[in-house]
Amino acid sequence: MKVLFYGKLASAAGAELDVPIEGPTSVAGLRRQLGAANPGLAETLCDRRVRAVVGEAFVGDDHLLGPGDEVEFLAAVSGG
Amino acid sequence: MSVVARLEQAAIDPAAEIGELIRAARGAGAIVSFVGVARARSIDGSPVDRIVLEHHARLTQRSLEEIARDAAGRFAVDHVRVVHRCGAIGAGEAIVFAAAAAAHRRAAFEATDYLMDRLKTEAIFWKREESAAGAAWIEPTEADYADRGRWE
Repeated sequence: MKVLFYGKLASAAGAELDVPIEGPTSVAGLRRQLGAANPGLAETLCDRRVRAVVGEAFVGDDHLLGPGDEVEFLAAVSGG
Repeated sequence: MSVVARLEQAAIDPAAEIGELIRAARGAGAIVSFVGVARARSIDGSPVDRIVLEHHARLTQRSLEEIARDAAGRFAVDHVRVVHRCGAIGAGEAIVFAAAAAAHRRAAFEATDYLMDRLKTEAIFWKREESAAGAAWIEPTEADYADRGRWE
């Protein structure tokens, strides 16, 4: 599945990754899988402020993703 | 009632923005505005050449609109105007313009204060400071989050 990163997550892992998943995987499970494969990413990915987006909607850690899905991980935002 | 929420790639002209608001708010008794300016020094005192604000192709504009609409709905204001930069912003340049017009000043002050607390912690941007020494990602401070919490 396609994973897109924003902010400092992209610095650590690149803007886009193609990630193999076996069957439906929860967002939480994907965070763990990505953290295990990319140690530079692990701590940031587990930050509560890092949110996942599928399509136009923010999704929770229990949202299930399939192999054909695309998910975006947004690092902690900072405006103003 | 008007709500303006705009993502701006080019320089913000605060005087032009307040001029537009004053024109739109004909009859309002109170107009309050805030301009956030890129500082030449980081929080630790080290020099900063520019701030770079990355944004999301879809969600950033939506977050600005949501924050502006929430302010318009929560406070007794007639106009809300938010203009927020993206891209590279030099020290001394405006990052954000936030303003409100109302019949009375208390609502205009509170709406503008609320806008900034929301924008600092919820507007969808990723901010980094750049200098000759390198680049560092900037996140909201504990004070920023506490300020946001005041409105709950």
